[in-house]
Amino acid sequence: MKRRGRGIACMWYPIGFTVAANPSAAVVKVNEDGTATLLTGTVETGQGSLTILGQIAAEELGIATDDVHVVSADTDSTPMDTGAIASRTTYVTGNAVRLAAAKAKAILFEVAAPMLRVKPDQLEARDRKIQVKGYPQRYLPIGEVANHAQVVMGEPPIGAASFNPATVALDPETGQGKPFSTYVYATQIAEVDVDDETGEVDVIRIVAAHDCGTAINPMLVEGQIEGGISMGVGFALQEEILFDAAGRQINPNLTNYIMPTSLDMPEIEVNIVKSYDETGPFGAKGVGEPTAVPTAAAILNAIHNAVGVRITSLPATAEKVLAAIKAKRAQEPKRIAAR
Amino acid sequence: MARKTKVAEKKVSLDAWRETDETLRLPAITPPVTYPIETLVPEVRQQTPAVGQRATRPDGRLHGLGQTRYIDDLAFPGMLYAKIKRAGIAAARIKSIDTREAEALPGVMAVLTGREIPVNSFGPSLKDQPVLADDLVFHAGDGVAAVAAVTEQIALDALDKIKVEYEPLPAVFDPVEAMKDDAPKVHAPNSNIYATKLIKKGDIEKGFAASDHIFEGTFRTQMVEHVPLEPHASIAMWDPNGRVSIYSTLGRITLGRADIARTLKLPINRIRVVATIVGGNFGGKNEITQEPVLALLSKKTGLPVKGTFTRTEEFIATTTRHPIIMEYKTGVMKDGRIIARKVRLVLDGGAYCSWSETTLGKACILAAGPYNIDNLHAEAFVVYTNKTMTGAMRGFGAPQVCFAYESHMDDIAAALNIDPLDIRLLNAFEEGSPSPTGQVLHSVVVKDTLRTAAERFGWKEPRS
Repeated sequence: MKRRGRGIACMWYPIGFTVAANPSAAVVKVNEDGTATLLTGTVETGQGSLTILGQIAAEELGIATDDVHVVSADTDSTPMDTGAIASRTTYVTGNAVRLAAAKAKAILFEVAAPMLRVKPDQLEARDRKIQVKGYPQRYLPIGEVANHAQVVMGEPPIGAASFNPATVALDPETGQGKPFSTYVYATQIAEVDVDDETGEVDVIRIVAAHDCGTAINPMLVEGQIEGGISMGVGFALQEEILFDAAGRQINPNLTNYIMPTSLDMPEIEVNIVKSYDETGPFGAKGVGEPTAVPTAAAILNAIHNAVGVRITSLPATAEKVLAAIKAKRAQEPKRIAAR
Repeated sequence: MARKTKVAEKKVSLDAWRETDETLRLPAITPPVTYPIETLVPEVRQQTPAVGQRATRPDGRLHGLGQTRYIDDLAFPGMLYAKIKRAGIAAARIKSIDTREAEALPGVMAVLTGREIPVNSFGPSLKDQPVLADDLVFHAGDGVAAVAAVTEQIALDALDKIKVEYEPLPAVFDPVEAMKDDAPKVHAPNSNIYATKLIKKGDIEKGFAASDHIFEGTFRTQMVEHVPLEPHASIAMWDPNGRVSIYSTLGRITLGRADIARTLKLPINRIRVVATIVGGNFGGKNEITQEPVLALLSKKTGLPVKGTFTRTEEFIATTTRHPIIMEYKTGVMKDGRIIARKVRLVLDGGAYCSWSETTLGKACILAAGPYNIDNLHAEAFVVYTNKTMTGAMRGFGAPQVCFAYESHMDDIAAALNIDPLDIRLLNAFEEGSPSPTGQVLHSVVVKDTLRTAAERFGWKEPRS
């Protein structure tokens, strides 16, 4: 008989990594027409980080995402970056990008101020324009300013900057210190059906609520959460590298190492919780890894809720769940149905 | 005569069949990809302000059309294919490697062994991993020799012709066994425990003494692979100026370049690392693997050399997620408030350190969960075993400890007859809460995530 259960799990996760400093650097070049080129040493590994970084540069320069072309991941031409690791790209590289764009923008403001007969600190960059704060009708197209800066003033609007999260090394005796600059939080709730005759677990639904600071691009945040959950489902129920007695893997292939497919995926509801981190670029933190953190815990709690067995070792394969159900039944006093 | 007619009939029908087949057959060579000159830019990419927009990815169109060029799609004139011979034995001393027969195979352009690598060790923190094993084998997936040949098949055939003689050594596979004094040492004479972490807050014994209830639980997790769609792949090209260009799936090119420079004994500015679009990383592509091997094979042959891992190599020769044994002991008041928690973590580090120190640190710091606990003692050990190395993988120890602290939390809630949501809300961090390391936390929204998820799920609604 299929028995339904639900389980909740929350988590916290740091942005950036400990042990060593983890800086990122960036270069932003504003072209003569007001479009821009961003140079970053981070690597796009499928998560969409280059889109996010382009959006951050665009926001700072007051231009659109498509106005920024991102050049990445070439050690000859792009500045150093600690890399696409530790959920740090949006926060750490993003901060570097924002600072670099701000430096390029400062050059544009220096150039635009006399053209608009104001001081540079009275200017703002919005909607592809450099305009006077409070007087948006007094403006110049950003391309006109950028061209003037380069061609007339001889000051190409290029900004370079780096960012390293503020941390304090842990005391080796007590472990006290500030290992990370900021953290994100999340909760996932899983609903499962457990077949108490076969031990099979079917994950029906997962409701996820994640904090990522400002969602620079909500669509990419959703993508990360859905992907993280699929990884969590595999970790919870299916995936395991097995070894023989001589220490050799016995299932190093996708025939015998079972991963979730689209058919194993639950219905997923994604919620992005409102949050703003003052230390992040436009309030953003990050979301990459945390999405895969609470899924297994939520599913295992749901199994417990459904059939009353606590599986203490992952993965909760059908065999393991069935054995636990049988062991539990063996311990229960035998009852004859009074019907 | 009858027989002849039969043959003729068959011939006619075959020809007819061929004709239809020709019309259906796809061209053997894919026609060159032509892009529309006018590319529509989605409106959302044109909007300002940019932050908060659901902007599409610039590479999405190419992915959607199957036109993204990954490393394995790239080819350079004269390019060779490399393959690495894996040890297949978990712990051994290499007595001899005979490559003569492989070198004699037509089509084989070069063979490389560990002794030819200028500095045969690397690693993100401890430099404990050989590029190719030269003296000792530490796990079954270790490379012992590499071949560059004109085709992938010849390179594979050549691997079979390399004769390696091993003297088996005692091995240890269980991390708890490996912690014992008399266990075989994976990297003798060093202890198998290669890093530890301790976090202390308050007074753990007083905390337990003041608790109404004590709960204990032990949890274990398994070893898993990242399984990116795209396996590790690289192409190395040594040019006549003594510079080497490496196209690679590396997720961290700055660190990768430094590691390659160290192993090749080259100034950093003579190395160019280009990472193209990477088909998934999840932490598994954070360190170099075959790059120095390909670079040296390219140097030997003067030709570009490509190496693409098979799926099996992805499993046996790259990093995996740490299995962790997690012991929890928690002191709780009658109302569900947690006042003391002791955690002991043993991480199976596999044969090499890789990113274990980061994983150890994160697992230990996060082990208590997002909860205010005044008295805490968390200790963690990472241990060498003669198995596939464990390293960075999405979550760095967090999915493991979250499984433990949240399972433990539900057991506590059930024993005290408290709703699992309520016990979490009772203990969760708030703005300004001190973390286990004494850090004052900001932008803390864990309770918001709990409430949002519960509301959207319908947690408090009556169950059918």
